[in-house]
Amino acid sequence: MNDVSVDQAPMTSELSTDQSGGPVTGPRLFNEVLLEVNNVSLSFGGVKALSDISFDIKKGEVRAIIGPNGAGKSSMLNCINGFYHPQEGTITYKGKERRQMRPHEAAKTGIARTFQNIALFRGMSTLDNIMTGRLLKMKSNLFWQALYWGPNLKEENEHREKVEHIIDFLEIQDIRKTPVGRLPYGLQKRVELGRALAMEPELLLLDEPMAGMNVEEKEDMCRFVLDVNDQFGTTIALIEHDMGVVMDISDRVVVLDYGRKLADGTPDEVRSNQDVIDAYLGVSH
Amino acid sequence: MGVLPVRTIGIWMLAVPLAILAIGLAFKGMAAANPSFFFTWPYFIEVLIAGLLQGVMYSLVALGFVLIFKASGIFNFAQGSMVLFAALTIVGFIEMGTHWTIAFFITAGIMVLLAISVERIVLRPLVNQPHIILFMATIGIFFFLDGFAQTIWGSDVKVLDIGIPKTPITVMENANPSDPNDPWQYGILINQYDLIAAAIGAVLVTVLAIFFQYTRTGRALRAVADDHQAALSVGIPLKTIWAIVWSVAGIVALVAGIVWGGKAGVQFSLALIALKALPVLILGGFTSIPGAIVGGLIIGAGEQLAEVFLGPLFGGAIQDWFAYMLALFVLLFRPQGLFGERIIERV
Repeated sequence: MNDVSVDQAPMTSELSTDQSGGPVTGPRLFNEVLLEVNNVSLSFGGVKALSDISFDIKKGEVRAIIGPNGAGKSSMLNCINGFYHPQEGTITYKGKERRQMRPHEAAKTGIARTFQNIALFRGMSTLDNIMTGRLLKMKSNLFWQALYWGPNLKEENEHREKVEHIIDFLEIQDIRKTPVGRLPYGLQKRVELGRALAMEPELLLLDEPMAGMNVEEKEDMCRFVLDVNDQFGTTIALIEHDMGVVMDISDRVVVLDYGRKLADGTPDEVRSNQDVIDAYLGVSH
Repeated sequence: MGVLPVRTIGIWMLAVPLAILAIGLAFKGMAAANPSFFFTWPYFIEVLIAGLLQGVMYSLVALGFVLIFKASGIFNFAQGSMVLFAALTIVGFIEMGTHWTIAFFITAGIMVLLAISVERIVLRPLVNQPHIILFMATIGIFFFLDGFAQTIWGSDVKVLDIGIPKTPITVMENANPSDPNDPWQYGILINQYDLIAAAIGAVLVTVLAIFFQYTRTGRALRAVADDHQAALSVGIPLKTIWAIVWSVAGIVALVAGIVWGGKAGVQFSLALIALKALPVLILGGFTSIPGAIVGGLIIGAGEQLAEVFLGPLFGGAIQDWFAYMLALFVLLFRPQGLFGERIIERV
């Protein structure tokens, strides 16, 4: 694994936070802000996981959040997704400001996610796992469901069709009926992506979608992420350690270290930022 | 859980009759060797059928446990007292002069209310606590319901009659035997009550199995059972799901209460039939609805056959411990039960 987040990440408390994001100079331009994080701070007891983080995610872009281990990347996603509730700051999503939200409410408003350490329904088949992503879109009431008849059957078929599209898209036709607990790691990650896609999200949060994959699997996953962004217009925020991947596929990158924001900008800007280089490679004292 | 692969069903269809035949032949052999051992084929079949029907009723109780265990990983100790509570409530309404069908729906409504309050008062404050804590909470619910039901409805033994005939019927009778010792001359006696109760149980189980396997809510229930966090992330509201599960378990308890109460009278000991469900669960697997059925059938049939045929050799009263011994034996070879989800662990 070419994990860049090496152990020699030094103490960076003396480094100032870089706010020089500047105008986006990449080939793709995005104007509409989908989600804005304002001065968010989160702590667990005495441990500060995030301090005063601000950045935004624009509609349609691929936004990467990078940083050494323990930088607070997953905590950031968990705040957006409603698993954690930041003590300070606000998150504005689709123009609506919020401080606290339950995860299933976040799901309702169009935020889907995958997890760092795969959270699939292990006993269920690939198909059923992806079908759970459609739950919020299904409306038939308990009565028809209990009869498995009428509106319920029609609805099941409609959603099944959508799910089959996703299965085709992710090229996992042959594992449709396999319990996901038996699948290899790379495929499990793909099924998890499928489940998130089934929700037809506006904002897709991917927590290390390529961790633990070999080069081929990574290339596949990159392709899927880009295709999702391209074909469905889904906004994507991803956490990733593989710098090659991040620089290739993301439009803008925000760098966190020890719960602070180090840099924010296009891959090129971030790559040449001295603070980021120091955080990743270490500074000589 | 759910629909078994065809291959597996094929194996079972072959293995089960063979196993029964083998047990029958073994008994026959013992009868030949030991004159005090009574055996004829019609009698064997009669006991077997009685046992199987009894087994379906065990399954009915076990089903309530499986539902809650699947959706929350909790062993609901209070299931037995829910059966008692439901049975006492429906009898109470019938004694007030309500027709039993109306009483059924009122009681079902009360069970749903009970489920919602259990979720509100007991489960919600304990979210994210270890399972053992939730289990302890269900012990609390057990004692509360047990006392509450008897405070309201009294502790007398009550008769519950919903019009199911209790007379036995005779089948496969050979009315004109050519041989005066023909064992088939009296046919096979089957208790009508057990037969109808088993039919009710079978319908309930089929509906629930389909519900869990193919519907939106069923899928959500299974999802919650597998991974709370992931379930939340796809937008499943945990609280609603728990309320639904406890409601369904409550209604299953009501049906079990009617069936068992009608058979043995409605009284405190109804709460203890939960103990009979335990070996059924161990045998069938805590997570499988079909497992609860098959487990119930095996326990019911096994315990009747053991009591009637082997009992005299041990001096009787095998029935009380045979089921537990069978369950222990299964535990040695298949810790997840016959149909439980195999524990898949990647290292």
